[in-house]
Amino acid sequence: MKKNQGLRLNRRRKFFNDEDRWGYLFIAAAMIIFAVFTLYPVINAVYTSFFDYKPFGSKYVGLQNYIETLKYSKRNLFYKAAWNTLVYTAIVVPLSLLISFSVAIMILPFKKRTQSVFKAMYYLPGVASGVALSVVWLWIYDSSPDGLFNQLLQFLHIPTQNWLSSTKTSMLSLIIMALLSSHGTSIITYIAALHGIDNSYFEAAELDGASFMQKVRLIVWPLVKPTTLFLLVTGVIGSFQVFMNAFMMTGGGPDNSTTMIGLLIYNNAFVYAKYGLACAQAILLAIVIAIVSLIQFKLMGVDVEY
Amino acid sequence: MKKVIALLLCLSMVGCIFAACGNNDAPETTASVENQTGNGETDAPKEDKIVIMAPPVTASYLENLKVWAKDFQKIYPHLSVEVIETSWGDHNGKLATMAQAGEAPDIAEVSSGAIGTFVEMGVAVDIAPYLSEERLADYDENALNYMTIEDTLYGLPLYLTIQSIGANKGMLESVGADVEKIQTEGWTYEQFLEIIKAGTKENVFGFVFANAGVTASDFINIFGAGAGLDNNFTEDLKYSFTSQNLLDLLKAVEEMTQSGYMPNYGVEAGQRLVMCQTGNAMIFGKAMPLFEANFIQNNAALEANDGSAVENSLKMDYAFLPVPTIGGSEESCYGTVDGLIAMRNNNTTEEHLQNVALFMDYICSGDRIASCMNELYLTPVCQSGRDALVLDEGRDPANLAAASRCIDLVKAPPAGVTAEMTATAKSLMDEVIVPKFQLLLAGESNAEEVYKAICEAAFDAFGEENCVSGKLS
Amino acid sequence: MASTGLFSQHVNNKTVLYLRNTIITIILVVLAVATLFPIIYMIMSAFGPNVATAGNMRSIFPSRLTLESFEAFFHFSEHSVRWIWNSIIVAAFTVIGNVVFASMAGYAFAKIKFKGSKALFGLVLVAMMIPYQVTQVPLYILIVKEFKMTNTFSAIILPGICTAYNIFLCKQFFSGLPTPLIESAKIEGCNQFQIFTKIVLPLGKTVLAVMAINTFMSSWNNFFWPFLVTSDPAMYTIQVGLKQFKFANETLFAPMMAGATISALPMFIMFFSLQKYFMEGVTIGAVKG
Repeated sequence: MKKNQGLRLNRRRKFFNDEDRWGYLFIAAAMIIFAVFTLYPVINAVYTSFFDYKPFGSKYVGLQNYIETLKYSKRNLFYKAAWNTLVYTAIVVPLSLLISFSVAIMILPFKKRTQSVFKAMYYLPGVASGVALSVVWLWIYDSSPDGLFNQLLQFLHIPTQNWLSSTKTSMLSLIIMALLSSHGTSIITYIAALHGIDNSYFEAAELDGASFMQKVRLIVWPLVKPTTLFLLVTGVIGSFQVFMNAFMMTGGGPDNSTTMIGLLIYNNAFVYAKYGLACAQAILLAIVIAIVSLIQFKLMGVDVEY
Repeated sequence: MKKVIALLLCLSMVGCIFAACGNNDAPETTASVENQTGNGETDAPKEDKIVIMAPPVTASYLENLKVWAKDFQKIYPHLSVEVIETSWGDHNGKLATMAQAGEAPDIAEVSSGAIGTFVEMGVAVDIAPYLSEERLADYDENALNYMTIEDTLYGLPLYLTIQSIGANKGMLESVGADVEKIQTEGWTYEQFLEIIKAGTKENVFGFVFANAGVTASDFINIFGAGAGLDNNFTEDLKYSFTSQNLLDLLKAVEEMTQSGYMPNYGVEAGQRLVMCQTGNAMIFGKAMPLFEANFIQNNAALEANDGSAVENSLKMDYAFLPVPTIGGSEESCYGTVDGLIAMRNNNTTEEHLQNVALFMDYICSGDRIASCMNELYLTPVCQSGRDALVLDEGRDPANLAAASRCIDLVKAPPAGVTAEMTATAKSLMDEVIVPKFQLLLAGESNAEEVYKAICEAAFDAFGEENCVSGKLS
Repeated sequence: MASTGLFSQHVNNKTVLYLRNTIITIILVVLAVATLFPIIYMIMSAFGPNVATAGNMRSIFPSRLTLESFEAFFHFSEHSVRWIWNSIIVAAFTVIGNVVFASMAGYAFAKIKFKGSKALFGLVLVAMMIPYQVTQVPLYILIVKEFKMTNTFSAIILPGICTAYNIFLCKQFFSGLPTPLIESAKIEGCNQFQIFTKIVLPLGKTVLAVMAINTFMSSWNNFFWPFLVTSDPAMYTIQVGLKQFKFANETLFAPMMAGATISALPMFIMFFSLQKYFMEGVTIGAVKG
């Protein structure tokens, strides 16, 4: 890829100005790595989606995998999984963002040392071992009266719940888990953005007698928009692809109420040996994510300039 | 200054990439050696390397495997073995990825239920041509049937595990159950219900079954065997989960969950044994014969009082029990086989497969398998293994007898089931039967509704004419 | 310090200030404790007795405090220490790679107007949208079959050495830098490389620190890819190693938690050594003035 660019640069010097060349130089290393380790596998997956894939001897089937994915039948879980994923994303992503933003703002008024204690407290959960996490969460959602949440309910005189094993609470359980799990990454990203806001903005606002909420709404929110956009887009991508929680906690049950697209893709690729079908489903998912992301960029994508 | 640092960083990255290329040399040479092995035939045995991938079946299995590989090389100096160690629970994910990439190991450990996946992928290899009649005769036919799909043998069995229920022996006797009679003759669901009723007291459940999440399938498999649903297909290749037997099973499960003799909420896999050991449950499932070791260990820890025993646990003896029969079915037991299968990759040649089969047979038989079975409290499924078996001291003879009686009750899948039928049955189980069964366990549906939903999906998948109606014969 | 101006309302009224800070503290602590629960549980189990079965511990405090689980962790495998060392190497190179390559690319996408920049950036984003479950197989073929990298650090490091996520992060942060500043530097005769090293990097310390911390954490916690491309226990990362404590019917739970606790230490160190960079804040306004 780099070579090609070099050639093009020499041959068509007039077409590329100085800016162009600097731009290509700066992205060259990243793009080579990207092309080999990300783009190539992606293109390969797109290609595979048109095949009945077998490690030794695939067969071209055209759009068959896409048709099979979208064809409506009683046993086709794709639509149900898509709905589950959508519900999960629509609730988890905005709320997580709100929590991270609020926490990041609430940390600010403290002295440096207190701030670093809080930051550490919110960063730390990310270092917990996955095994400890799953053991603790299974304990929290234990449906027996000894489960942590059930003890809390008993304390409040509410009947105990059959958390992960009931269709009424299974999705709710996964959502609560996502909201109570680590927000460390997004909080730290927000804090970094908040520190980038210059004090003079607030001083000016103060002279105009702005309240705290007005300052948040009129200064902070617009200025951290690029960060919010970043966290929103990556959050939606991650949430649409969510797989681990359903895989570890419920296996998709009960009655497929927590079956997510990510779980479906995994099962097709590695349990049912339908890798081509899994690729087709992944591409369809990516198209949906791309559309949603495009809308987000359109709504929030005005780059903030000083 | 900063420029220098940036430059250094870039250089180190480039260096790293080159180092990667440098590392290529070693594996490449071995690969070329292997390629030579594949070509041409000469009298002297060519050097060959066999790759085996296995998870820690027991705590010492992988260590033992390496020792056996060395022993094997002493007998066949031209054959070396590479062991790829995986971890429990992630083994299948890695194996499936490698297989889809066309880079599967020569031999891999899989459970019999997963063989179909690799047959579908086209990477499982028929190994019968590479084994002598005499060697094949060493293995029990029943166990070999588990490794067979459409009359093709894809590997050799390591062990047959039986899954059933177990109990706190003392508590069971205290409510008037004749444990010896149950272990030697089996029991009916009605008798079972009476006993768990008697065993239920304040803070004590007569029966607990770990059924949360995917473990709901254990409940179906184990009690399904008791209701005559041993296999997905009957001898005449009809789908059996639409029979009256399923309705009987569902009704029994509905009755149990609403009886109050067992928890009416989801129980995590980790909890069942603990509930029994702390005296909060009398009978528990799923249970395997090897749980005897947990009880012996815990009793010793209680004796030593060093804090390593299960919290609040009591001293007790373990009884391995057969599953009760439901709806007048013949007594049976749920079993699966874990075995080694041969897999196709880019090194696969006739001669290579010969060597692969040789090593596979070596690992699955004789004192290798005997020592492994001793750790798992199971009986080997090959004659040479049984001959080599020297039982560890301190094993409960009644449990041993009950386990071996249950192993004999296990019915292997019928011959003639195609890979496609297996795959459809598997997806029906995962996507319809287990999910609907979870509804029943949560008390959010009843037996008739679940039965109807399962039948509808099965008729849709196989056609009504290929499904059993009425009672299984 | 920057942005404290947001909370300047009550600085003059001691009582209100005190009350406000107390309420905020309570909210923050309650939220933090909920998320900290698993890690407290992990550390506590690590100091508990060497109990085998997992999932039966129904209390935070072990029956007695002991170091025997740590001993068991170090004796479990001859490579126990090596696993942590491997993880450090992998995480360090991943962090360096991302900081260097992603920041350069992020800057170019944000501030250099070159032809095709929008399209290329779009491509970077779209590639993120394909779930890894299906890209994992071609990547495995590439690394193992084509590059023959099994059991090398390169195999573990290379796929994550410059992620789309970090390019996006840098682009978003750098696009907030004042364009006039860059323009005036250009007029003064700086080339883009000088602008990048003299202006952008010092101003972008914050985002680089954030990126380093987050990348370190995700590289450290990555399990499946290192598991796929290593077969030699000497090359395992700590996450792969810890999974070896689980067998078919038992889990060496306490030693596993001891290992997890030890492996968390480098992440603490990483965090505390880098956090001063995003404590300082950036004074863009001063430069602009």
